[in-house]
Amino acid sequence: MIWIGDVLVSRGEGGVYSERMLGGARVWDPYRSKLSALYYKGTGIELTTTMRVLYLGAANGTTVSHVADYVEVVYAVEFAPRPMQDLLEVCRRRRNIIPVMADAGRPERYAPLVEPVDLLYQDVAQPVQAAIVLRNCVFLKPGGTVILMLKTRSVDVRKEPSEVFHDTIGTLTSAGLIIQESTWLAPFQADHAAIVCIKPKVQGLS
Amino acid sequence: MQSYWFGDVEGGRCTLFIGDSHAILDRIQSISTSLETYIPPDWEQAVFCGACRDRQDYLARLQAVCIAAAERSIREQYSKKDAELLQMVRTLDEIDKVINLLSEKTAEWYLIRYPAFSRKYRRTPAHALVKTIRERSKGALGKVAGEIEELEKTRTILAKEVSSRANDVMPNTSALIGGLVAARLMSQAGGLLSLSRLPASAIQVLGARTALFSHMKTGSPCPKHGIIFQHRRVHNAPRDVRGKLSRVLAGKLAIAARLDFFRGVAEPEFLETAQKRIDAAGKESRP
Repeated sequence: MIWIGDVLVSRGEGGVYSERMLGGARVWDPYRSKLSALYYKGTGIELTTTMRVLYLGAANGTTVSHVADYVEVVYAVEFAPRPMQDLLEVCRRRRNIIPVMADAGRPERYAPLVEPVDLLYQDVAQPVQAAIVLRNCVFLKPGGTVILMLKTRSVDVRKEPSEVFHDTIGTLTSAGLIIQESTWLAPFQADHAAIVCIKPKVQGLS
Repeated sequence: MQSYWFGDVEGGRCTLFIGDSHAILDRIQSISTSLETYIPPDWEQAVFCGACRDRQDYLARLQAVCIAAAERSIREQYSKKDAELLQMVRTLDEIDKVINLLSEKTAEWYLIRYPAFSRKYRRTPAHALVKTIRERSKGALGKVAGEIEELEKTRTILAKEVSSRANDVMPNTSALIGGLVAARLMSQAGGLLSLSRLPASAIQVLGARTALFSHMKTGSPCPKHGIIFQHRRVHNAPRDVRGKLSRVLAGKLAIAARLDFFRGVAEPEFLETAQKRIDAAGKESRP
């Protein structure tokens, strides 16, 4: 990851969402992007130029544009038409973002488009976040990484965020994923946790 | 056989998909793979197949068709009849808020200018003062009051449009609860599809979010009605039957929303029995 001083940046064409520029690079604000917040917390995996990424819940392409600056290609899945309109504008200016307008919970619909990926990044506001990850693990190479941004408030408002957090980790572990680290994203994002896990090299995924 | 965006692959043999730009979009929107037997697409296979020259060309072509497919899906979604109604009713509600806010503010301002004036005992809500303020005030204050009146005129026009559009888009729901309230229900649910998928109990408390969550969290009494309270059927009903009436009404609305989504035309038979049932629920009193 590229840091200028203690500011996380990515190198690419600026002006996507009027982000600040620093020394010709785009500032990646941890208050606006959960993935950036994860790096500011001192964790998260290194993004490299050979990586292929499946990004679920791409929204209007703010974080996607930064990820695309680092990696080879991003498959950006988004279901809602309004954010997709903005995402398409980002795609037209970047060659390595493939927009996929589909429901992340139904990967069979976009499977004919998506290559095997090194990183599965998931940030959808759905109560079944863990299940969506598991369903999309089919695209992940063995040894690949999952980053799940858990919106504890959209899973179940009645439950305590920490309870939702533990339930989700349980679901992921019992499906055969190996938890690498899990962090709350405070103070950058409230009630959000990041869970990083690895798909084992030997197939044991149910 | 594995179907990919660029063609079909079976037993190492690849059949390139050939068709014009429309055909490939149709293909992308309709193909789907069983994930049990799924083998992910391989760009080298696509090159071998003749779909592209190299890795860069593979991604460029894939991106081009995906952008086109997404653009088409967006167009399709926006051309549905409920998409515009949604924006219309949300704008209407927002105008209402602005009118209230501005008239409240100008009334306060007016009171400062004329210290002898008081709203007490005169039954003058702020919006009734707007005309007086416009006529008697010079400068910006009078101007603002004039703008509020203009906005009110726009509001009336928009409300009529919302109402008639709702009658067209959701004829059954509108017949039971009026176009405006029907449109608000739809807007709160996020669209006609979402509304038609909601259970009656959710429709009943749609728009009473705060009360519902405080009920779930702290066990305070659960709300009896949300947006549907705005219809005279509910707010004019005697207090003791309102809860029951809301439940029956919501039940019929759930059916009506499904009729609207799947058939899109008024169903007189359903409406007649539904109206009777709802009216009956409004009359029943607890012994």
